[in-house]
Amino acid sequence: MEFTLLWAALTAIASMWVGLRIWDDRLPDRPLDRLIGASVLGLFVGRIAAMLSQGINPLANPADIIIVRGGVAAPAATLAALAAIFWPERDNPSAVDALAPAAVLGLAGWHAGCLWRGACLGAASDLPWAWSGPTSEITRHPIEVYAAIALIAGAWLVSRLGWRPLLRTGTALGLASLVRLVTEPLRPTLSGGPIGWYAAGVVVGLFIAVLGPRLTRKPRTPVPT
Amino acid sequence: MKRLLILMAVLTIVVAACSNGGDTDANAGQREDLPAMTADEFEAHLASIDRPAVVNVWASWCLPCRSEAPLLNEAFAEYGDQIEFIGVDVQDNQADAKEFLAEFGLDFDHFFDRNRQIPNRYGGIGTPITFFFGPNGELVNTHNGVVDERTLALNIDELLAGG
Repeated sequence: MEFTLLWAALTAIASMWVGLRIWDDRLPDRPLDRLIGASVLGLFVGRIAAMLSQGINPLANPADIIIVRGGVAAPAATLAALAAIFWPERDNPSAVDALAPAAVLGLAGWHAGCLWRGACLGAASDLPWAWSGPTSEITRHPIEVYAAIALIAGAWLVSRLGWRPLLRTGTALGLASLVRLVTEPLRPTLSGGPIGWYAAGVVVGLFIAVLGPRLTRKPRTPVPT
Repeated sequence: MKRLLILMAVLTIVVAACSNGGDTDANAGQREDLPAMTADEFEAHLASIDRPAVVNVWASWCLPCRSEAPLLNEAFAEYGDQIEFIGVDVQDNQADAKEFLAEFGLDFDHFFDRNRQIPNRYGGIGTPITFFFGPNGELVNTHNGVVDERTLALNIDELLAGG
């Protein structure tokens, strides 16, 4: 039961691997390592942020950190993962852009991992494709499947974009945030979910996509006199 | 990879230094012992409750129980007026149990079950376990292991919908 998250993670890694095989133009060295490393760092930082927000000292019982089912703060995790991707390639934005479609496909794989976890269901629904859980007669939106399908379409869309600096990266961030923003109201939550953060992700993604060339412009070299 | 590990270690230390440690000994000392309960007594107790119940089986030595404790607190704060929340402390001692409760501020009712009679009665495996009961003690669902927010919220929704 507790290893279902591992299957979901493996599905995400397999999806990233497929994405890197399909969209392999301008990739940096060891692209899968970079994406997995960024994901691990994101989980780590997001887990610690979640523990702190719950008033738990991570050093009191450090092993708590690996129990990600206890909660991961998505905004902190996203920022850490983005930083881990950006920092090594800060002088080569096209390498970051090249990783973007596979990263979105990896997210799709993570959401599709709900099929292993038995955790696909959201708000109650009478639609023909709604499912019910094994111990329930209430049919519900397979909300994580919706998210996975939308992210697969998003990965394809990102891969079709040109190579203007950070256009793909910004679009990927915006699309991933938009998918979470749109699907979140149909997810069962205790606190309503970080809707504001997802909205901020859409805006920041749009900002990066539009202003990418300016953000990456290198300083002019002085003209010798 | 080496840089990543170093960065993770530094981050852990930095954020931990910014947080409050568990200061619970004083509160734990003031709390009364958890009432001991057999499986039969617990079943009768559940049958007397005319609203749904979430029963969490925990222990102070159980690391995953620490991870889900804040979530249960959040659920209790949100749904405590509609659903009965009950904790069952298993294979534990009173002093450690009280310290655990004080650390996490779990304010709903808890019972002491040294011999694991209660989870064994309902077929749960390991610790933690979360049982979801309909009104009057009808078992609706069992979640073995750490319960995450989605699972907890979904099962509460099922209980409130009468599913």
